[in-house]
Amino acid sequence: MPVSLGFFDVNLCLGLPPRAAFRPAASARDLARAMAASGIKRGLAWHIAQREYAPQEGNRMLAAAIAGHKNLHGCWTILPPQTGEVITPGFFRRMKARGIMALRAFPALHNFLLNRAVFGRFLDEVSERRIPLLLSVEHASGGWQAIYNLLAEFPGLTLLICDTGIWNTDRYTWPLLEAYQNVYLESSLVSLEDGGLEKTVERYGAGRLVFGSGFPVRYFEAAMLAVLKADIPPGAKRKIACENIEGIIKRIRL
Amino acid sequence: MKKTTRLKTAFFSKTAVPDCPICDMHGHMGPYHGLRMNRETAAEADAVLARAGIRLMVFCHHSALVAPEIGNADNIRAVRAFPRRLRAYCGVNPNYPEQVERDVASFESNSDVFVGFKLHPSMHGAPVTDARNAPAWQLAETRRLPVLLHTWGAAPTEGHPAVRRAAERYPNAKILLGHSCHGAWKEAMQLVKDFPNVYLELCAVMDERGILERFVGELGSGRIVFGTDYPWFNHHYYIGAVLGAGLGDEDCRNIFYRNAEKILKPARG
Repeated sequence: MPVSLGFFDVNLCLGLPPRAAFRPAASARDLARAMAASGIKRGLAWHIAQREYAPQEGNRMLAAAIAGHKNLHGCWTILPPQTGEVITPGFFRRMKARGIMALRAFPALHNFLLNRAVFGRFLDEVSERRIPLLLSVEHASGGWQAIYNLLAEFPGLTLLICDTGIWNTDRYTWPLLEAYQNVYLESSLVSLEDGGLEKTVERYGAGRLVFGSGFPVRYFEAAMLAVLKADIPPGAKRKIACENIEGIIKRIRL
Repeated sequence: MKKTTRLKTAFFSKTAVPDCPICDMHGHMGPYHGLRMNRETAAEADAVLARAGIRLMVFCHHSALVAPEIGNADNIRAVRAFPRRLRAYCGVNPNYPEQVERDVASFESNSDVFVGFKLHPSMHGAPVTDARNAPAWQLAETRRLPVLLHTWGAAPTEGHPAVRRAAERYPNAKILLGHSCHGAWKEAMQLVKDFPNVYLELCAVMDERGILERFVGELGSGRIVFGTDYPWFNHHYYIGAVLGAGLGDEDCRNIFYRNAEKILKPARG
């Protein structure tokens, strides 16, 4: 397929979910194959077991799965440092060794609060190291109020807000883009809205969106065609497709 | 492995694919309380449709659904201002039966605007088959017009059992299941199997992989129409989703425009 934007997909999931799903990527190899078939060059992936089974086991499964796949980077899922289930001494060193470039959290499902009382020193360090945290609005982020509270307590955090919602969420996202310079929106559901990409770029520039698909729940091609055909300059499309996330990754200090 | 078809390659590589025009059978227009619409006016809609290669969008203005004081006036105004790419469903709100009767009575004189009717049962708190909808249904039945229903799961007013009652009662109206009884996919497909006048519509269906593949695998592509809920959703995103489902080109063409053309042919004369 003639796609030249070098798409880097930040919202990929692999592994077999406990509930029936349509052709999930059972392995990193399957995921890489699906990406290649659709023209996705690189990806930032998490493992469904990180959410549905247990974060510590899911993190291990993800790291094992993506090992050797140069075009796949990983996200680890965090739990409160106090319990020592995931965050233990050497955590960042292990991230680096395993090709883990980002973190995810599912506080509503995993029963904790993503706030300063719980994550104070840890998220300060994540902010300093400029490690991106990905929160899915659709999946157990705790909702917009929790995201607003988190950013109020960690205003320098590099936060990628994923799966922003099926309906237009500008009323939630635009104030965050305005208030916090390190907040980015994952593009899939922004581009689902008519004019979503165009209006966000017009108001906040192309630097605040990172390409994502939501695969395997959603189609690569839907998110890709929306970027390709958006009424924005070619340079803005390149930023969204790959350059913004490449810049975020370059700035990480692990 | 998914099919990479000629049509998919064309949509991804060209600015326009004129030999595959798109008919969007589920559009709207205007502002709406729950969210900010990026484009609200008929002029903006016309420009978006032209750019996306949408030959025709059949819509129902939000005001026709939720502002009884305005009723269908905005629908008429929009289509008459941009007749090339726009047609409207006459919005039916059974809570205002006199208005329904007036709209049905004037349907013929607005035949340049309206191609059928739109019912949104959950919005109006009245089931699809509410007696106050009958004038619209009866005209649709007589004229074989499309009736776009907002359908969702097994909801009492607009779920598959309610749709089944309507399909039994009105075998000649062309019943478009907006959102395909979202979530009740098996039951929606059964409606298509049981009633030759029932069609599936894809808005909100394409947010999830696997549903369209299941529809086409079980029913073929002859009774599925493309729809987006514009301006809620984006045409390119939905076109990409259909192309991403790994269907053959002929199936995509049926969904994108051929089925809609068949549905609209008698209504558009």
